[in-house]
Amino acid sequence: MIKYDAVIVGGGVIGSCISYYLTEAGLKVALVEKGDIASGTTSSCDGNILISDKKPGFDTDLAAVSQNLFEELDQKLDYEYDYTKKGSLYLIESQEEWSVAEQFVKEQTANGYAMRMLDYDQVHRDEPLLADDIIGGIEIETDAAVYPMAFTYSLIDKACKNGLKLYNYNSVEDIILDTKGQIESVLLSGGEKIRTTNVINAAGVWAPEIGQMVGLDIPIQPRQGQILVAERTRQVGKRKIVEFGYMMAKFGSKNYKRDIHPILEKYGIAFVFEPTAADNFLIGSSRQFVNFDNRISIEVMKGLAARAIRFFPSMKDINVIRAYAGLRPYVNDHFPIVSAVENVPGFYIAAGHEGDGIGLAPVTGKLVEHLIIGNDINIPLDLDFAVQKLSFNRFF
Amino acid sequence: MKDDVIVCRCEEVTLGEIKEAIEAGARTVTDVKRRTRAGMGLCQGKSCEIIVQRQLCKQLNLSSEEAHPARDRAPVRPISFGVLGDEYND
Repeated sequence: MIKYDAVIVGGGVIGSCISYYLTEAGLKVALVEKGDIASGTTSSCDGNILISDKKPGFDTDLAAVSQNLFEELDQKLDYEYDYTKKGSLYLIESQEEWSVAEQFVKEQTANGYAMRMLDYDQVHRDEPLLADDIIGGIEIETDAAVYPMAFTYSLIDKACKNGLKLYNYNSVEDIILDTKGQIESVLLSGGEKIRTTNVINAAGVWAPEIGQMVGLDIPIQPRQGQILVAERTRQVGKRKIVEFGYMMAKFGSKNYKRDIHPILEKYGIAFVFEPTAADNFLIGSSRQFVNFDNRISIEVMKGLAARAIRFFPSMKDINVIRAYAGLRPYVNDHFPIVSAVENVPGFYIAAGHEGDGIGLAPVTGKLVEHLIIGNDINIPLDLDFAVQKLSFNRFF
Repeated sequence: MKDDVIVCRCEEVTLGEIKEAIEAGARTVTDVKRRTRAGMGLCQGKSCEIIVQRQLCKQLNLSSEEAHPARDRAPVRPISFGVLGDEYND
C-alpha cells in the first residue's frame, strides 16, 4: 500500500494551495475533497487579495507576504485565472471617517505600504460615477484579485503534475491513530484507507467536523455572506471599491454608527464593489451567523442593492442577474488557525480564514510547508511569531 | 455535435471545453459552470443548462437528476438595482 507523506482534507483554495507547495517541496501528497475542487466557500466569494482591510502590524504584514507570493505564483502556474492588480479604493462619507482614515494611512505608509488619501476632487475625478457627497477616499496600490475557482483549479493542475493524488467526490470517514496516538491512516467513506503520518485539516467551515475525528474542538463557525452579480455592462468603477465606514469598528472607533437603514445594520451590510475580468461586477457584502444555511435571502439582496445605489446612483438602471451566498469560516480573533496540534502528532489545522481565504492561501501554504518540513521558507515574516500568533494553542 | 460548437452563448463556452471540464472532474451542471463559466451569463443557463446536463449524463453515465441537482436561485429574471434597492434606499 502506498504511504503518503501528507493527506490534505479539503479541496478549497487553502487545501489546494497547500497541495501545491508541499508537492513543489517534493512530498508525496494526497488530497481528499467531498465534492468537486473549489465547490464550497471558494466558489462563493469574490476572489480578493487585499492588504487594505487589515489592521496595521502583523495582520497587514501577513497579507502583504501573501500578496507578493501571488506575483511568484503567476509565473509558475499554467492554467489561466484572471490575476489582476488594479488596487482598491475606500470611500469616505464623513469627517469622522476622514480622521480615522488619515491616521490609518499614516501608520500604514510609515510601515512601507503604498496607500494615500484622495481628496474630494481627486476621488471624483478618478471615479466619475460616484455619489456627489462622498468626501474622499483612500487609494491602496497593491490590492489584487483572481477568479477564485480558476486559481484553485490552477493550483491543483500544477500539484497533479507534481504527483498529487486527488480523491475528489470522496469524504473522510475517520482518521485513525496508532497506539502512540500518532496519525496512521485516513479512512474514506468508500472504504479505502490511505496510509500517512500527516493530516492537514483544510476543511474551512467543516474543519470542526474533521477535528472531532481526533478529539479536537476547533473554534470555527460558518458566517454567511451574500453577493449580487450584475450583468455585463459599461464600466462603473475602475477597481475594487469599498465603503470605509465598514472598517471603522475594526480600526478603533467602536462606537461609530453609520447612518443607514436598520435592516442594513441587521444583516451587516457594507458596500463592496468588485469589477470582474468577465466585464461585469459583483456587489457585497453581508455578514450573518445562520449556521450552515447558505441560501440567499431577498431581504439581504434588497439591502445590498440599496447600499450600492447610495455610492453609485447610476447603478440603479443596471440589472442584477444572480445572487449567491457563501459560508465563511469565522474565528473570533479574525486570524486563521495555521498550526500543528500538540496532543495529536501529525495533525495540522489550516482553516478559519473567514473572508481572507483567497488572499491568505499562499502564505498559509508556505507556513504549512514550514510546519511539516521545518525548512526555511524564505518569506519576510518572523516565523516564530507568526506560528505563535496563528497557533491552535492560542484558544486554550 | 462538433467540439467547437458554442454551447453557452452568453459566456461563449464550447462543447469541447465542457467535455474537458467533465474529464477534469466535474460531475454536475454546477461543477461545469464553476470550471467553464457556462451558465454564468445574462440568461443564467436558461439555454445551455440542458445541453450541459445531457453531456454529463452521456460522458459519465449519470441520471439527469444526478447531473443536475435542483438549486434555488434568485432572481428568476434580471432585476435592476433600482427596483431591488428601492425599499431600503434612504
